[in-house]
Amino acid sequence: MTATPSDVLRGTLDLLILKTLTLEAMHGWGISQRMQQFSRGVLDVNQGSLYPALQRLEQKGWVDSDWRVTEHNRRARYYHLTAAGRRALGAETESWRKYVSAVELILKTT
Amino acid sequence: MALIRRLVKRLRALLWRGAVERELDEELRFHLELETTKNVEAGMSPADARRKALVDFGGIEQTKEVHRDVRGGRWIEEALADARYALRTLRRNPALAGAAILTLALGIGANTAIFSAVNAVILRPLPFPHPERLVMLSEDNAEKGWVRNVVAPANYLDWKERVKSFAEVAAYTGGGGATISNQGVPQRVRVRGVSGNYFSVLGAQAEAGRTFEDGETWQTGTPVAVISHRFWLDAFGGDPATIGRTIPIDGRPTQIVGVMPARFSFAADTMDIWQPMGWDPQSRTQDFFRRAHWLRVIARLKPGVTPEAADAEFQTVVRRLQVEFPATNRVMGADLVPLHEFLIGDVRTALLMLQGAVALLLLIACANVGNLLLVRALGREREVSLRLTLGAGRARLVRQAFTESLVLSALGGAAGFALGWWGTRALAALQPAGMLPVADVPMDVRVLAAILSLTTLTGLIFGIAPALWSAHRVPAEVLKEGGRSETGHGIRRWGDALVAGEIALALMLTLGAGLLVRSFWRLQRVDPGVDSRGVLVVGIRLGSGYQGNPSSTLAFFDALRERVRAMPGVSGASQGMIPPFGGTAFTSDFRIESHAPDDFGVEIARDRVTPDYFSTLRVPLKAGRFITEADRMGATPVVVINEALARQQFKDRDPIGQRITFSRVADSTSVWRTIVGVVGDVHQTGLAVQPQIAAYEAFAQSPTSYMTLLVRTPGDVESLVPGIRRIVGELDPNLALAQVQLLERLQERSIARQRFIMSLILVFAATGFLLALVGVYGVMAQMARRRTREMGIRLALGAQASDVQWLVMRHALAVVAAGLGIGLTAALGATRGIQTLLYDVAPTDPATFVVVPALLLLTALVASWLPALRASRTAPATTLRED
Repeated sequence: MTATPSDVLRGTLDLLILKTLTLEAMHGWGISQRMQQFSRGVLDVNQGSLYPALQRLEQKGWVDSDWRVTEHNRRARYYHLTAAGRRALGAETESWRKYVSAVELILKTT
Repeated sequence: MALIRRLVKRLRALLWRGAVERELDEELRFHLELETTKNVEAGMSPADARRKALVDFGGIEQTKEVHRDVRGGRWIEEALADARYALRTLRRNPALAGAAILTLALGIGANTAIFSAVNAVILRPLPFPHPERLVMLSEDNAEKGWVRNVVAPANYLDWKERVKSFAEVAAYTGGGGATISNQGVPQRVRVRGVSGNYFSVLGAQAEAGRTFEDGETWQTGTPVAVISHRFWLDAFGGDPATIGRTIPIDGRPTQIVGVMPARFSFAADTMDIWQPMGWDPQSRTQDFFRRAHWLRVIARLKPGVTPEAADAEFQTVVRRLQVEFPATNRVMGADLVPLHEFLIGDVRTALLMLQGAVALLLLIACANVGNLLLVRALGREREVSLRLTLGAGRARLVRQAFTESLVLSALGGAAGFALGWWGTRALAALQPAGMLPVADVPMDVRVLAAILSLTTLTGLIFGIAPALWSAHRVPAEVLKEGGRSETGHGIRRWGDALVAGEIALALMLTLGAGLLVRSFWRLQRVDPGVDSRGVLVVGIRLGSGYQGNPSSTLAFFDALRERVRAMPGVSGASQGMIPPFGGTAFTSDFRIESHAPDDFGVEIARDRVTPDYFSTLRVPLKAGRFITEADRMGATPVVVINEALARQQFKDRDPIGQRITFSRVADSTSVWRTIVGVVGDVHQTGLAVQPQIAAYEAFAQSPTSYMTLLVRTPGDVESLVPGIRRIVGELDPNLALAQVQLLERLQERSIARQRFIMSLILVFAATGFLLALVGVYGVMAQMARRRTREMGIRLALGAQASDVQWLVMRHALAVVAAGLGIGLTAALGATRGIQTLLYDVAPTDPATFVVVPALLLLTALVASWLPALRASRTAPATTLRED
């Protein structure tokens, strides 16, 4: 697949981070890799924008972070989903689906 | 839980910005390293891998900036940055910061301590229910010159029965000592006689057992007593079975019926035991019940009755008593004041003066700190201008200076709080016993609030002024001037005004202190009339076994004196009733035989002394003879009078051989005593009190059971005590020494309050004086620095060093003179307020009003001469080369 990676839509980055974190706690780089991997390279997350987004989510109380040691014995900040984050993910996913189907509808009818 | 975690994290982001930033750095570095490793694994060279990682990341600094924005709390960060900046600048100039903080601390600390005392004594209500309904009743007697005097029991009883405005009226005695025997060991205790309703009038309940009933004012079966909490613990170990126990008090078996709670305190008294008066009902109608005055009387007003209305009714009753009992009450007036006002008494003036003094000190402190900041603002003119030019926001500059002052006043406030806390304790601990009529001087919430508002307010005032000023200056002008010219006059004029104000305030403070010092100096030089050095005072009160038995009383004291005199090192042993400087005297009416029958005298101090009394105390004989061993019972009753009485009653006639009696109207029962000698005046009541007219009877002709032994020794006075204690114990095992004291100490103690107040004022004034000098020095140093260039030019052109010094000195002289003028004018009015605290010194004492301003002027000129000198000594070339 050689398609040009497209920028992540504004506002969807949070959703993607939350979704990524449902599996396990991850550090920032891991999140960026996982997101790239899942989207099969289509979505290229601007790695730099990941960190302010994580900070924002943490302030909302949707994710929490702590410092842990990686398998290579390095100190890294790991982020994980909170209960509130899990609930938010459900609601955000729902509204995203509505949004997508609405856009789809418009694209189909015109 | 999660919420708390979040809050903690946010707080941490605010307070430990450095740590949070470091963590972000680490997090990003970690990310880049992993990304680089990934790229290397994909086959890139390490350099390319690193570059690609950075490109993919897209701007580390932007990320951090966005991250910070998201973190939020920017204004708090800025405020904290300001505060940190302020701390840094303060650290850069530790002398100034230290001076300012110390100044504030002194001002605030002194105010806190004194205000706490004022609050505890004057502002806080008495610790009784409805304290506003408690009043003090006293006798006034124009003829005898009595004001708020103690009351005769018959008058007390009449007031109690007749005045309807009073719900209840109680009486108590000043309190005295007694000897109790606790498990066989004689012990001196403090006892107060009270009417049965004393505690119920105050509204105080017993902690255990009961208080007294109204009827117990009069004789009942067994004598009863209520004891204090402290005494209960000390003497009985807090044993509940103490109630109901019977102990001998002065030999009389007395039953303990109650214990008062620890918090019970009436006018900070330290009584161990309260006992009902236990009057004999027959006394009610006897003459002495109206003639002898020894009670303090308090009344509780009925609800809804104002003190004024009560006083009106009270006065009609008093006038009726004047008619009913003309012999004793003809000119007897009475006085009703709120109890609180009475208890505060004369300490009020002293406290208010101290409060005034520390208020002046605080003003000086504020002016001084303002001054220091102004001086610094001037010194930083260029820095500020530079920052303005470089684009710093004016508002932010103002805010920065403002924060700086707030930080300064917060530090000063904290130090002041600590000093105040310590000072309050020190004040309460060091005050002469009983000066503050309260049990404790706490630093309460109101004081705390006062301090906080003071520091904040001072911070605001002297923070805003220089900051506003520096912000509205045109930067280019300042930079052009090179911070030297005479523009910016406004702020320097402010500086001058502050210094002048400081000088004025310091002058007032120092003048007040000067007057008190002079007054105290005079007090110390008062001739006490006795030589108190090397004299031991021992109070002895015989038990009830000696009552009505004069010969055994005499025998006891004769034996005591004889044995004490035989002790090694004793050069004299004698007795009187009340020692000199004892704070009180036993007084009565009198009549001189050769005067007209209606020409009677009032208020003569009486004492009963042994023959060697005068020689032991070294009271000089002015005429006639001292009392001798021959003046015993059965011999002609004799009396020795003092010079004051001789002057007042006999003018230029010879008093020797005249006869005197101690009653107003002589009758067949009157004892006429022949005046055999005249002695020098003794300050019986205290050094600050003029000697009263006095008469000394012979102890052997009228023995009493309460006596004071006076022992003189050329050696160590206190080493005599164990020996005397042993002798007394051998003569009567049931006796304890009532009071053991050095006469010298008593003399000092009689002016301890004056000394204490003077010392406090002196400390405050010295501090204010120093602060004012610092202010003068600071402003003049700044001025000298500004004019260094001018001086350099002048010197280069051939002016003398003294000429250029005069430039600064002239300015200082003008400022200081203005301050002195203002201060003198204000002080002339203000010192009248402390007249009652002065002894033999006018509130406008010329010497003080010349010496103190001169001293201030001189030191201020020296303080301004120093910087002038330094400036004039700088080599002209150096100054001109600067910039």
